[in-house]
Amino acid sequence: MMGATYTTASSVEDAVAAMAAGARPVAGGTDLVVGARQGKKPLPQALVGIHKIPGLDGIGESDGGLVLGALVTHSALVSHPIVRGRFTGLADASAIVGSHATRANGTIGGNLMNASPAMDTGAPLLCMGATVELAGPGGRRTIGLDELWAGPGQLSASADELLVSVNIPAPSPGTGSAYVRLQYRRQMEIAVVGAAAVVTLGGGAVMDARIAITALAPTIHRVPDAEAALVGGPPDEARVDAAAAAAAAAARPIGDVRASVEYRRAMAVVMARRAIMTAVARASGQDMAIPASDSTYGS
Amino acid sequence: MTIAEKPFIRPDGKEKVTGVGRYTADMNLTGQLYAKFRYSDHPHARIVRIDTSRAKAVPGVLAVLTHEDVPDVLYGGMVQDRRLFAKEKVRWEGDVIAGIAARTAAIAEEAAALIEVEYEVLDPLPDFAANMDAGASLVHEDWETYGADDSLDRSGNTLGHSSIVKGDADSAMAGADVVVKSRFVADASQGAPIEPRAILAQWHGDRVTVWSSTQVPFAARSGVAHTLDMPESHVRVVVPLLGGGFGSKCDFHFEAHVAALAKAAKRPVKLVFSRHEEFVAPDHRREGMVIELETGANRDGTLVSRRGTLRLDKGAYCGEGGFFAQMAAMHACGPYKIQNISVDSYLNYSTNQPSSSIRAPTAPQTCWAVEQHMDQVAEAIGMDPAELRRRTLIAEGDEGPAGQIFDPIGIKETLEAALDMIGYGKELPDDEAIGVACGWWPSFGVPSGAYVKLNGDGTGTIITGAMESGTGAVMGLPLLAAEVLGMSPEDFSITYQDTDAGPWDMGSSGSQTTFNNGRAVIEAAKEVREKLLDMAADELEAHRDDLELVGGAVQVKGSPGTSVTIADLAGSGEPILGKGSGDVPEAPEVEASACVGRLGMESFLAPQLITHAARVKLDRSTGVVRVLEFAAAHDSGVIINRIGADGQVYGGVMMGIGQALSEMTMFDQDGRQRNPGLLDYKLQTVSDAPKIDIRWIEVDTPNAGPKGSKGVGEPPSVPTSGAIGNAIAKLVGRHVDRLPMTPERVWETMHTEGE
Repeated sequence: MMGATYTTASSVEDAVAAMAAGARPVAGGTDLVVGARQGKKPLPQALVGIHKIPGLDGIGESDGGLVLGALVTHSALVSHPIVRGRFTGLADASAIVGSHATRANGTIGGNLMNASPAMDTGAPLLCMGATVELAGPGGRRTIGLDELWAGPGQLSASADELLVSVNIPAPSPGTGSAYVRLQYRRQMEIAVVGAAAVVTLGGGAVMDARIAITALAPTIHRVPDAEAALVGGPPDEARVDAAAAAAAAAARPIGDVRASVEYRRAMAVVMARRAIMTAVARASGQDMAIPASDSTYGS
Repeated sequence: MTIAEKPFIRPDGKEKVTGVGRYTADMNLTGQLYAKFRYSDHPHARIVRIDTSRAKAVPGVLAVLTHEDVPDVLYGGMVQDRRLFAKEKVRWEGDVIAGIAARTAAIAEEAAALIEVEYEVLDPLPDFAANMDAGASLVHEDWETYGADDSLDRSGNTLGHSSIVKGDADSAMAGADVVVKSRFVADASQGAPIEPRAILAQWHGDRVTVWSSTQVPFAARSGVAHTLDMPESHVRVVVPLLGGGFGSKCDFHFEAHVAALAKAAKRPVKLVFSRHEEFVAPDHRREGMVIELETGANRDGTLVSRRGTLRLDKGAYCGEGGFFAQMAAMHACGPYKIQNISVDSYLNYSTNQPSSSIRAPTAPQTCWAVEQHMDQVAEAIGMDPAELRRRTLIAEGDEGPAGQIFDPIGIKETLEAALDMIGYGKELPDDEAIGVACGWWPSFGVPSGAYVKLNGDGTGTIITGAMESGTGAVMGLPLLAAEVLGMSPEDFSITYQDTDAGPWDMGSSGSQTTFNNGRAVIEAAKEVREKLLDMAADELEAHRDDLELVGGAVQVKGSPGTSVTIADLAGSGEPILGKGSGDVPEAPEVEASACVGRLGMESFLAPQLITHAARVKLDRSTGVVRVLEFAAAHDSGVIINRIGADGQVYGGVMMGIGQALSEMTMFDQDGRQRNPGLLDYKLQTVSDAPKIDIRWIEVDTPNAGPKGSKGVGEPPSVPTSGAIGNAIAKLVGRHVDRLPMTPERVWETMHTEGE
């Protein structure tokens, strides 16, 4: 603990300079601080607070898509009408991250850069084709989420790169999205198994589908076989079942205190089916409750 | 019938919920050091050598203590089987080998890691059921040499065997219309208070003051005096606000470690546990159990015979919990008329975390098994489970498991009330069902004392040994004093949680605070009342028989104009003091000579009776169960303060739902906890709470607590998991035989073939 430092950055450049000198960024602190108190990982020797950097907490529209600043909180996402209306799968996810306190403090940038295979916002954003803008000492670059995550808690970004924004392209007309997870309680929960789907309907048929699985592999990833199984015809039971089965087949679950391998594998089918069905319903214009996870069981 | 005319809200509530309240961890003293422990590196090992030299050499370390630095004293409430610091052996992952006091917590932690311990590693013995097999290795090789309660029937790894025997269970079983056998396994759960424990100790000369987050300050005082070989009067234990306990802060634990460190370092020393340490702390755990039951019944519902074998996990050390075997045996019978009984119950050592008095110890798990077993009996004789209970629950004059004849009690009324509240028999969607369970819990009559004094401004102060851990002392005691003195409960302050202030008290355990300390406060207030009447008779020149105490004044009956205020009397300078303890109610004597291991639980004083009914919904694809609606009907005698009693039920039911569905300590193969934290030890949250309806069946109970009250605190979690289990079984078609009934276990039960 000797010599621990904490500075507050007032610009992205400040933050990147501090990170290049070895500091770790902190905003909401919901992963960093909680992890340290749990004994998972001690707090870094040098921290740079990024929560006061102006301009990083906005939700903006761009050509029908969205630009989310790194400091946008989960509670801001859940309460945003455009997120709820056209990027509903992200609202499903942000609505159930941690507890009320986590959602008020935790940021989208932190959630994505934590690179947990169980993070809630990852699967819907991946299916929506989101990219992230990273600022480093050498300038800025934009990469897809599938390129960002390298393993559990591991990033392809280097330690001196700061996520500054998340860009979500405009969905095609007739698109609906959903994120569903298996959870044992309604607050303070982490995904046991999760799935997201983004489905575009046209003339009663599935024109495009993106399906991703959560907490079922070292990183959140899309399942092309599942997507292919859903596209090309009406979203009937056979097609949905085939897609859900393909999603589950791609799972490489671990057994841990939250669930066994067998149970996770069985639940992968259930969660994938529910995510797909909810996304299809939303694509058809039906109003489905947010978050979708709570309406999938219970009262 | 409730004595509070309007709800009396707890006076300590506002400071607690607004964050203003000061807990032990919030306290700091000038020059204080920080303590850390070095814990065992193995669940079971012989200690060959301990070398503290490197730890002592760390700059900023002022004391390092091991067993060599404190008196060689064995302690423990019912079996004296442990030391402050491990000596020959470590017996679970949380055994303390050394304590360190240093300038900062980080230095203390660094030093703890530098202590070198050489072990001879032994096979862990986590299987508490197998540990009673012949030839099993012993957790305590020297068990026969330990001091212990004479009534404990001990043998090897079994530190307590108790039996309940009535009639001839074997031949009655042979003659029954049907015989139902079941086996249930309950995993350990945890008390999990939000406040991890904290202790701060400061010496002045040869006396020590210890601030501690304990539920039992007097037991802590005795423990410090005993283990550090000093007079009890030289130890003062003070409890600042307590952030929950649920039984996990009962018994004496770390006060002496910290006091010894403070003495050695000649500075105040503070210990604050991390969440992980709190989870691994001794007695934080509810015991795991294996429960085998067999019941012979006739087709009219008559329960002719019950046999049972129960095995309980005590973990590494006994502490105060030696009575668990007998308590579990009584719960294996339950509040039912059973003609013949033979139940054997074994409390076994293991190399797991010591288990202790978590809210109604042994009852929720045993009741969960027995109540599901009762539903199986009902199914076997083709009777509705509620009807079976209606025919077999005890009533006034019936005979208990060991021959006790019951006073008036309201268990049958609780059954009808719960069925009524939940709408038993109503049409439900096919993924919903209602389950019902009944249970009981004794009241505990123990000595208790209090003083009441009046202040010059006409208010009163209650000086008591009672504890407040959410248990209601701050509500019940002022209400009872106020009623005797014609004052309002808001007029009273309480001086408590300080062993130098109030008389001895058992602490906040056993649902006993209002039951026993309420009696003491009434007695003390009556003495004050006598004094006031004498003084007022002089003042008003009236006969004292013509006086009454109303609205903060003494007045001539029916003549409010002729009066003197209590403030005027108390402000005269004449001390107005009262003291009281009252006569302790005792459980009825029973013959019970056939029962082994009698520790006083074979007869229940003023039993508290409960029926819970739960409407649940099952997600058939995942096994996830949600409780949608809950009905709790309780006979706790006369209710002193409805809002406080309701609060116990809301909290108890939520704890019970957690134990039913999600709260489970998972151990690795060596007996180390795999989920010692609040992320993966799944407490229920407010968002998970169902609608909970409560009805109190206020049976006027002779031989009970103040005003005919019984205890309230522990029963609300007793039959909760049984009711939920019975509802799940209706949806799944089979009973889930593991507790908690997690989604994965429900799902497995749905997907495996039944017997």
